[in-house]
Amino acid sequence: MSLEQAVEAPQKTAAEAAEVAEDWRPKILAFTCNWCTYAGADLAGLNRMNYPADVRLLRLPCSGRVNPQFVLHAFQKGCDGVLVCGCHPGDCHYSTGNYFTRRRMLLYRRYLEYLGIEPERFQIRWISGSEAGKFRDTVVDACEAVAKLGPNTKYREEGR
Amino acid sequence: MSNTLASVQETLRQRARTLLEDGTITYLIGWEAGRFEGQTTPLILRKAADVDRLIYNEFCVHILAKYPLSDKNIEGTIGVVVRGCDSRGINLALKDGQIKRDKLYLIGIPCEGMKDARTGQELKKCLQCTHRNPVVYDELIGDAVEDGAKVDRFAEVAQLESLSVDERYDYWAAIFSRCIRCKACRDTCPSCTCRECFTDQAAMGWQGKETSLAENQNYGITRMFHIGERCIECGECERVCPVRLPLMQLNRKIIKDAYELFGEFYAGIDDCTPHPLDHYLLDDVEEFM
Repeated sequence: MSLEQAVEAPQKTAAEAAEVAEDWRPKILAFTCNWCTYAGADLAGLNRMNYPADVRLLRLPCSGRVNPQFVLHAFQKGCDGVLVCGCHPGDCHYSTGNYFTRRRMLLYRRYLEYLGIEPERFQIRWISGSEAGKFRDTVVDACEAVAKLGPNTKYREEGR
Repeated sequence: MSNTLASVQETLRQRARTLLEDGTITYLIGWEAGRFEGQTTPLILRKAADVDRLIYNEFCVHILAKYPLSDKNIEGTIGVVVRGCDSRGINLALKDGQIKRDKLYLIGIPCEGMKDARTGQELKKCLQCTHRNPVVYDELIGDAVEDGAKVDRFAEVAQLESLSVDERYDYWAAIFSRCIRCKACRDTCPSCTCRECFTDQAAMGWQGKETSLAENQNYGITRMFHIGERCIECGECERVCPVRLPLMQLNRKIIKDAYELFGEFYAGIDDCTPHPLDHYLLDDVEEFM
């Protein structure tokens, strides 16, 4: 498809074409930093906060550990949304990790959007160890947004 | 002094002869005529007697920046003919510590754009070129030419950005479905200098072997982000692609965003400025609060 053809092509939505089962719930992968967001999620649990079980936490030493390839892989292996969470800038356990993450993810998020992934499906948030409420709100909002979009059909590896 | 290609070629041959004879360089990397009319191919010139094989004309499309890196045991000094794009590639290799400056003798040639032998038209990558004069060299043949792109190099990106996400996905899926994963784009790219590419790390399993759209997307998207803002915009990936994928539309998107977020930046115009993703500022753009 040439650029001209793409510009003139009729609007069609890949997600619309797919049939959505009634009991479908989004599958969201959250990369959480060990020192802040994971502790924040733990605090949310301690405080008996309710948030959707659609999110799967993956604990990493630092948000700087999130190789951009992990995000693409998550979509390829069937996730409907990806969250990358880390300490607030200035609070990184390793001093500078999240500053690099910030620059990298600013570019990568725009890049994936350019490649056709809805921006709602890939979000980055800074959540500290004491921000249990923010963790819950982030997860609730992300799950709602992704549920509204429906299952992700883009970049999926099929037949596996 | 005029900048005609014939006079540049003549001076280049004379200089090559002198440099090889007096032992300044062990060999010179330049171009020679290919088998077909208008075709050229990179040349490693070792003997002063062969100097007439060296050519410089409007079809010297290959970028030479990556050739010196293949020599792992450099004896003496390597001579390289550099134009704007080659010199930026060399600078990138210097910055990355791939090669030492004193191992290189650079003969600079200001370049006014190369032509496609098939069509006789100026190459797209040359129309979009921002740095026509070499940015690093030991001697310069010919007078400096005017820098600056002849066309808006972000025009295609802007056009794609105006589409909806679904349209963009379909556009890129159609493109990646044609990829044959020959990795020519990686092999020719002066910015791709990892000792071991992620696609070759079979045990890690970053890159699968299946012939499928998902694996093509994984390869194309990841490779381009690995280069990211380090791209010197030589456009070689696009030129060498056997299935003619518009790969620079991916690179240019990253470069365009990097400009907007972190300020204007040209990779490889010197060998010391940090790249946008090499460093950070405390007051960078904040979108993730």
